[in-house]
Amino acid sequence: MKKCITLVAAAAFLGTSALAHAADTKIGVLMDITGPIANFIPPLQNAANLAVKQVNEQGGLLDGNAVAVYGDTTGSSQGAVDAAQKLANVENVPIIMGALMSGTTIAAAEAVSIPTGIVQISPTATSPAMTDLKDNDLVYRIVPSDNFQGEVLAKMVLDEGIKKVAVTYVNNDYGVGIGQTFMDAYKKAGGEIVAAVKHEEKKDSYRSELASLTKGGAEALVVIAYAGDSGGKIVKQSIEGGLFTRFIGTDGLRDDLLIKDVGADALKTSFFSSPTSPADNPAQKTLHDEFNAEFGEGADKAFVDQTYDATFLAMLAVEKAGSTDRAKIAAALRDVASAPGEKVGPGEWAKAKELIKEGKDIDYDGAGGTYDFDAHGDVRGYVGKFVVDGDSYKQIEVMQ
Amino acid sequence: MEWTGLFFYLVSILIAGGIYALLCLALNIQWGMGGLFNAGIAGFFAIGAYTSAILTTGESSKHLGGFGLPVFAGLLGAALLAGLMGWAVAKICVRLKSDYLAMASIGIAEILRLVIVNESWVTNGSLGLAGIPRPFGEYLAGRSADLVFLAYVWTIVLIVYFVAMRLYDSPWGRSLRAIRDNEASAAAAGKNIEKFRVQTFVIGCAVMGVAGGLSAHYFRFLSPSATDPLLVTFLVWVMLMAGGSGNNRGAIVGALGIWSLWSMTEIFTNRLPLEWITRSSYIRMLLVGLLLQVVLQKFRSGVLPEKSPPLRFRK
Repeated sequence: MKKCITLVAAAAFLGTSALAHAADTKIGVLMDITGPIANFIPPLQNAANLAVKQVNEQGGLLDGNAVAVYGDTTGSSQGAVDAAQKLANVENVPIIMGALMSGTTIAAAEAVSIPTGIVQISPTATSPAMTDLKDNDLVYRIVPSDNFQGEVLAKMVLDEGIKKVAVTYVNNDYGVGIGQTFMDAYKKAGGEIVAAVKHEEKKDSYRSELASLTKGGAEALVVIAYAGDSGGKIVKQSIEGGLFTRFIGTDGLRDDLLIKDVGADALKTSFFSSPTSPADNPAQKTLHDEFNAEFGEGADKAFVDQTYDATFLAMLAVEKAGSTDRAKIAAALRDVASAPGEKVGPGEWAKAKELIKEGKDIDYDGAGGTYDFDAHGDVRGYVGKFVVDGDSYKQIEVMQ
Repeated sequence: MEWTGLFFYLVSILIAGGIYALLCLALNIQWGMGGLFNAGIAGFFAIGAYTSAILTTGESSKHLGGFGLPVFAGLLGAALLAGLMGWAVAKICVRLKSDYLAMASIGIAEILRLVIVNESWVTNGSLGLAGIPRPFGEYLAGRSADLVFLAYVWTIVLIVYFVAMRLYDSPWGRSLRAIRDNEASAAAAGKNIEKFRVQTFVIGCAVMGVAGGLSAHYFRFLSPSATDPLLVTFLVWVMLMAGGSGNNRGAIVGALGIWSLWSMTEIFTNRLPLEWITRSSYIRMLLVGLLLQVVLQKFRSGVLPEKSPPLRFRK
């Protein structure tokens, strides 16, 4: 108990003498750092840090520097609400970037962001439930809803000439969201689903699920799951058992870990869908070059673009609002993200700051897309088709 | 630093701490008083959470619902259903000795959780239930709603605390302690051991159900990510052990202390230098573990150890 009291006292002390200077502006970054998607996170933290670093090198945010303050949701609702409470109340941030999983994003938004009037902008939360939140125009995301990726994936599979597939998806908001829309769209467009199995995470063997999936003679297996968990194991065990040779995955499976686990040869005929940016987007190359120059590698990892863009947009919104007044941020965010306005790309903070100072309207077009929010705070997006190339992935086509 | 902000952070800690205090009190009745090793808290928590959420939300095409009952009725339903489920579980496995009961209850909790995730016509599966109301939510919005919810949670904590104190200092509670410490002699004294154990289990599970319901109303959105056994089962055990198993006040102190520790360590790790940023969340987990070690080493029977209820003789 004494320990605890010391801790409380020390926390209060730390709060008052935080590293940040008075003129600095904190940006809340909510991520599921520990927990089920932990292996996605390090490049995304780099992406957010890169955005903050560039802003500080090019004139800073408002009258001082920008400082990223992290909150770890631990991948659970309890942790998400707790971390968001700290960002909103202790760190007193004007805007929150995050979270990454849909479950944690919605819990943080419902329990904290909406009541405290903070704009929350998620780079990756794809649950269809976010569209209809009663959010007073405070909750945004810059990836399309799962409904969208599922539909595009169905088209992609049919375009490839595959008419009969087996589908397995992980039983969480991500897997069910994409899985259901994929199956509906695929059947509607004339494809045949010979077997569909919903599976649980964190099991060692998926052989019984695979046994029921092989019945019916599917040409390929659609796997909507994470490479670090069930998805990777399913692919590995189907190859070991000679059950399937062709796999179709989503962004959760498109992880270098998968190639490391099963080898590039085994995935020669497979392809993957993932939210991406338009094919000839120079902004993406700019970002990737800068990212790799800073961190050596990792710019092509899933959601690096979106995380960078969301962080950059969050800071643009604060700059546009001209203060950390939470009430002004939502309108400012819509302003800087949507057309019309002078185009600004990744890393062009100095230009953006100048334009805002002159009172001109800007329109941020990021590495991951153009981000024009609709009335719900959603965007339409691009989905890329990826194939294995060496020990990483190569984008070969983009669909809108 | 803004004082109103700090104040509302304290409020949020007390709300979450209050919900954990309920779970700890419930576990204290089961383990501290009755010696029943329930490692399936998450399962009863989940039943309570979903019951209350389904009873209070409006019509939806995605899950069972449309009852739109007031929050209090939802919580009552949560207690009833979790208690009923506790009764069924107790009937099957309460005769098992402590560690076997632990194994059985872990299994049952996982079964309950998986049923919830899979029966999506009832629970909307992993996509979750949205739009769960708060008590008196129609009159209040914004931050002040948190204050009302805080009062609501702690009223329930106090009621449960007084009930638990009454149970502890009653013939019923004494028999329970006798059974816990020496089953054979309690049986020889004519106590119906199984009946006492079933009652204990049911009371504890009902309170766990209420705690689940309160969490659902607090988050206003319920998905399976709220029933993670790490945060619901094991953290509660740690809280009770640190606070003092067998002591109701210890259960509340443990819940508040450990939750504050859990939450506040992040404020520290956020102040580490930039190069540490990708590691700070893991450092935080390490810190939590270290601090727990210190607490558990220094206070072996908890911060507030168990005391026997006072003896009073009729003159």
